Amino acid sequence: MTDVLSELLPPSESRHSLSEPDWLHEKRQEAGQAVKELGFPNSGIETWKYTSLHRLKKVDFRPAEIADSTADTTVMPKLEIDNSKEKTVIFINGFFREDLGTYKNTVAGIKIEPLYNNSNMLEKNQEFISSYSNDAFAALNLAGFSDGISIEVDDNALISETIRLVFIGEHRDPLLRNIKNIIQLGQNAQLRLIEEYRSGVSDFGLTNVSTNIVLQEGARLNHHRLQNEAISSSQIAKIVASVEANASYNSDSIVLGGQLTRLEIDVALTGERATCRLNGLFSGSGEQHIDHHTTVRHQVGDTHSEELYRGILDDKSRGVFNGKVVVEKDAQKITAKQASNNLLLSRTAEIDTKPELQIYADDVKCAHGATIGQLDSAALFYLRSRGISEQKARALLIFAFAEEIINTIPVDNLRSNLERRFIGHNQMSELKSEAC
Amino acid sequence: MLEIKNLHVAVEGKEILSGINLTVNAGEVHAVMGPNGSGKSTLSHVLAGKEGYEVTKGSILFKEKSLLDLEPEERAGEGVFLAFQYPIEIAGVNNVYMLKAALNGIRAYRGEPELSSVQFLKMVKDKVKAVGLDEGLLNRQVNSGFSGGEKKKNEIFQLSVLEPTLAVLDETDSGLDIDALKAVADGVNKLRIATRAFIVVTHYQRLLDHIVPDFVHVLSQGKIVRTGDKELALTLEERGYDWLAEENLV
Repeated sequence: MTDVLSELLPPSESRHSLSEPDWLHEKRQEAGQAVKELGFPNSGIETWKYTSLHRLKKVDFRPAEIADSTADTTVMPKLEIDNSKEKTVIFINGFFREDLGTYKNTVAGIKIEPLYNNSNMLEKNQEFISSYSNDAFAALNLAGFSDGISIEVDDNALISETIRLVFIGEHRDPLLRNIKNIIQLGQNAQLRLIEEYRSGVSDFGLTNVSTNIVLQEGARLNHHRLQNEAISSSQIAKIVASVEANASYNSDSIVLGGQLTRLEIDVALTGERATCRLNGLFSGSGEQHIDHHTTVRHQVGDTHSEELYRGILDDKSRGVFNGKVVVEKDAQKITAKQASNNLLLSRTAEIDTKPELQIYADDVKCAHGATIGQLDSAALFYLRSRGISEQKARALLIFAFAEEIINTIPVDNLRSNLERRFIGHNQMSELKSEAC
Repeated sequence: MLEIKNLHVAVEGKEILSGINLTVNAGEVHAVMGPNGSGKSTLSHVLAGKEGYEVTKGSILFKEKSLLDLEPEERAGEGVFLAFQYPIEIAGVNNVYMLKAALNGIRAYRGEPELSSVQFLKMVKDKVKAVGLDEGLLNRQVNSGFSGGEKKKNEIFQLSVLEPTLAVLDETDSGLDIDALKAVADGVNKLRIATRAFIVVTHYQRLLDHIVPDFVHVLSQGKIVRTGDKELALTLEERGYDWLAEENLV
């Protein structure tokens, strides 16, 4: 039992390097103290109202150590990587494994390194690294992070290769993996990044990941995040992004796996014509719990955001979507669109969806809508009357619901993977190309 | 081919069909006519296996099998096809893809190998011309944004691809102007062959000017009250349904 969150703190002597800067060491101590004071977030906290951590509390987690990074790679999940288009960076149980990835630091304009060894990046991002406000898991992350990725893209660098970060969890013991990532794009830089979480079928770990993204003026990041861990693993994640003038942040969050997945995305649009598009697709079955909390902060005028989240929930699974939009005073001429559409496939599945608008300016266009529905029985009968089996007819209708999000993913490999996942095979794309 | 015996059907406890008897042989075209609420659409839906209908008595044999024991997709596999009165719009599902899945579903049911995409598309292109459906609609989402006429043509096109032995046309004429009606009827007439039977359910006689039936049955209050040839439809057109109801009372 891990009734007390502070039991998840690593013993201070287990740090894998003694070269840690003093400030970081101090901040970790402070954060550890905060973890003790804050404890597990409970349902009395508004943002945790619909997500209970009782199942996590029953597991006796231990913080991952460097020795865990050499887990048996033969039992790892199979990764379908297109080496001609993607370069991989692989972490195991929260530790960088240079030997397993295909990315080498030879691409002009981009530098990717494990964060922990990058004292320059640590130093430059002291403020982000040190902040956790009242967030217990952020404090836990600071106190205990083992490593993470640091990505820097130079001004004006347009990176044509897709970078695929793969965080793999695999251990007999239930591990707590604290990961911290920093992604910075210089002015007018462009990058496509896949951030994927996988785990072995016997993994019971918890990944607690905190990612900071800074997009300088005119930069563009396409960020495809895929939670595809085993049904026994859990994840609590937070992304904080700052988007400067003319920059754009495009994010997809696809959640298929995991027992409990909680993702918070907090985007600040800090300069004029900054935009963000947040898409999400989650599919739960069994007793999966999938929670997205998004916040978009329109801090200045002429900034624009769009959100589209689609949830598909079967069995006793439960989904949560909370989309907060904050328009600051004097942030005029902004547009913010938000849609949350949900498909419940069983009577025992549940979705809690809530838009939350805080608007302090008057010349704004904000639209939001939430829908909850079931598979259309008339459509189901129509398909079956044509000779399509019930199972396949359901799959077709579910796929149709998911497709709008899947189609926005410009990575062939990832997209066809998702098509297979929903439709059972990939005749869909084959037929599409031939029929056109 | 089809033998309906003493069929009683209730919806939410209310009896809609009260003892239908109907025998349909291969190659025949049967028109089922009747006023609103007489049970015409119920009969179509029960044949195709739609949920929500309770068969309280009677049987339906199709090629010596009990149709009522089969799921909708199994009925399609056996060769039953229903052209819907209101074809369903299905956003996100491609028209051709649906049809390929349907045809291969039927072939799998019969133990036949799946058609390849190349074979399928060639066949589809020939048939789409024959029913006069705009080829551009093939790659659209199923019935989404189709006009009323296009939807009905799409039903007939599906019929031509799936090649059922029993086709039930449920009020295929409803909502069509005269040109669309003729086009749809032409499509159906091209599909009349010796091994295929049609049940044409309609409120109005005008469709039967174009799809000439072998038998006309009049349905009233859940029963077939009169059976005749195409002349019966003309009489109904002139005199309406009321005289039949009155005659039955006598």
